[in-house]
Amino acid sequence: MNEMSQEDPVDRQLREAAPYIDDNGFTARVLQQLPAPRRTRRSLRGAILLAATLLASALAYLASDGGRFVVVAMERLSTLPALWLFALAFGSGILVMTVGVIAAFAKASELQS
Amino acid sequence: MELTDADLVARVLVDDDQHAFGELVRRHQSTVRGLLRQLTRTDLALADDLSQETFLRAYRNIRSFRGEARFSTWLYRIAYNSFREDARRRKEFLGIDEQQLQAEQDPHVSDPGLKHDLMHALSLLPLHERSAILLCCQNGLSHSEAARVLDIPLGTVKTNVLRGREKLKRTLAAWGPT
Repeated sequence: MNEMSQEDPVDRQLREAAPYIDDNGFTARVLQQLPAPRRTRRSLRGAILLAATLLASALAYLASDGGRFVVVAMERLSTLPALWLFALAFGSGILVMTVGVIAAFAKASELQS
Repeated sequence: MELTDADLVARVLVDDDQHAFGELVRRHQSTVRGLLRQLTRTDLALADDLSQETFLRAYRNIRSFRGEARFSTWLYRIAYNSFREDARRRKEFLGIDEQQLQAEQDPHVSDPGLKHDLMHALSLLPLHERSAILLCCQNGLSHSEAARVLDIPLGTVKTNVLRGREKLKRTLAAWGPT
């Protein structure tokens, strides 16, 4: 508001004299002229990432003798004591949660700025 | 619950939500178009073209809206800059006021009422006083907000508001005490 504590009569009359202007299709005309939403570019980026992931997975599968290393790793895991398995699962959960929290804070500060 | 301007801006930023931007346009179109109609001296077509340009610029540059000022103040600044750039392009920004003032002081203009006289008197003010009056007195911006919109010193805004208001009062003196 203005620094003046009492409203000047001219200010009041000016406000009252200003008519409300009906939209009459103005908003629609503005929206028609907006560029295409980023969503299409975002979905294209998602498709590229998915394709790259599938390609990399296929290459890794072929290069590792049909994914033999996964079977070996699972065998090793099954020989670990239960407490070790619990600690491993707990540690992985904490790691994922920390990364998520950092990403959320980064996004929030980006929006605030 | 109705979303605030800040909520809508956040939706535009995060999801590129054009419906949210449409709501912002609907909320502010009347004041922006009204401001530009007064700045362009009721040239409705030009005012609406500049209003569209204002909202398109706002959409393109919405990431530069820091939230330090109200969204409406930020819009007014874009609107005023659009008007100024257009006026420069038309080479009317400087020197037009006095010329147009003479043309508009036609004794045959009818005066159907106080509101008409007030708006007519407003349109006769020089641009710098008219802009300050429109922003501060009609649209309720503080002097410091208007200084940011017009990109001029705070003291100049105060002087322009004071002078403009006095001129309006003198013009309307015939209607009795205001």
